[in-house]
Amino acid sequence: MANLKDIRKRIGSIESIKQVTRAMKLVAAAKLRRAQSNMEQARPYARRINGVLNHLLPDIDRTTHDLLTMRPARQMAFIILTSDRGLCGSFNTNILRQAELIVKGAGKEHSKLICIGRKGYEYFSKRGYDVVEHYSDFWNELNFSHAIKMASAVSDRYLAGEFDDVRVIFNEFKNVAQQEIVEYHYLPLVLEEDDEAVRTDYLFEPSKDEVVKSLVPRHLNIQMWRFLLESNAAEQAARMTSMEAATNNAGDLIDALRLEYNKARQAAITTEILEVVSGAEALVE
Amino acid sequence: MAAQFHLEIITPTKVYDEGQVDYLRAPGVDGAFGVMAGHTDSIMALDIGELKVVKGSVNKIYASTKGFAEITKTGVQLLVESAEPQSDIDLTRAQKAYERAKGHLNHGQNKMDDELRAQRAIARALNRLKVGKRK
Repeated sequence: MANLKDIRKRIGSIESIKQVTRAMKLVAAAKLRRAQSNMEQARPYARRINGVLNHLLPDIDRTTHDLLTMRPARQMAFIILTSDRGLCGSFNTNILRQAELIVKGAGKEHSKLICIGRKGYEYFSKRGYDVVEHYSDFWNELNFSHAIKMASAVSDRYLAGEFDDVRVIFNEFKNVAQQEIVEYHYLPLVLEEDDEAVRTDYLFEPSKDEVVKSLVPRHLNIQMWRFLLESNAAEQAARMTSMEAATNNAGDLIDALRLEYNKARQAAITTEILEVVSGAEALVE
Repeated sequence: MAAQFHLEIITPTKVYDEGQVDYLRAPGVDGAFGVMAGHTDSIMALDIGELKVVKGSVNKIYASTKGFAEITKTGVQLLVESAEPQSDIDLTRAQKAYERAKGHLNHGQNKMDDELRAQRAIARALNRLKVGKRK
């Protein structure tokens, strides 16, 4: 019977889709674990750099350092972090929608975009935004040198006067089931309230100014590293949850189809029996 | 036995806890300096170079890049962007990185920042080679 065969085929194909989504879920879970341990490792360094900078900044004349000087924000830049690949639920959609709103709010014509991750680049370059730089195909071998490369590219452009204010828009990893889209003021440097203030009076070698000069790029690098790690962890978490949902849905679908299949099979058997019986009865008479 | 102090080398990807050590020599931007227990509280900017850690009769050498040292009464924290113990250095990789960066410098387009980047890469690779080859 054609109907039975069709259902069997559908069950077969959904079965294999389910296998794929389950495999993707497991891979995402493994990557998430690695991303989380990277985040764990980066924390002490980030905290100390932040602590020392917080301690120093109030004493420093901001105008002597280009990366600290506030200047009128005529030209904005937005760094937008997305993933390279899809199948991670609303991870990219959400951030792209929100980022577009933010950029439009700032004025499309005086905004430059730096897209980290292929999805963002595709989205914004198609819509006529000024994407000055984009990175993709690195998430799998993500390491600290990527952060250094991106951070120095951004600060070089900033120092060249290409833009006066840099924001980062990225998905922050809250927990496995939750990401939060965050807008962060990257340049000029503003500091969050410190969690670990440095109280001691230090001797600075070679000088306070020099130390700040060398600290600021370090700080920008580690911040960039944090964005990459957060976004990566959030992406893997999103993928894991959505693939888990997909696997469950495939299971539900298979159950429903199997029920239908059995019903159809029963119906077929009943008709056959009916035919046999009525045939036999016809013979008796 | 002289007094010891606690030393931690903190990088964005790893923390090396050296425990109690006797002496540290680190590459400051104005030249190398040594630290022993009871040093004045200070913050020193560090350049690419070689860290030497003396613990009893054992010497340990790291290749490190830019960062700074925070020295307090309780110990020393080195915050550097990368630190590799001598034993972990892969000489062939460093040699390759050196040649690659050299190639960039010679054949690259004459863009200022590219040149600067290549020079930095060369400095890092050379440092690694130097530290890796030390006896």
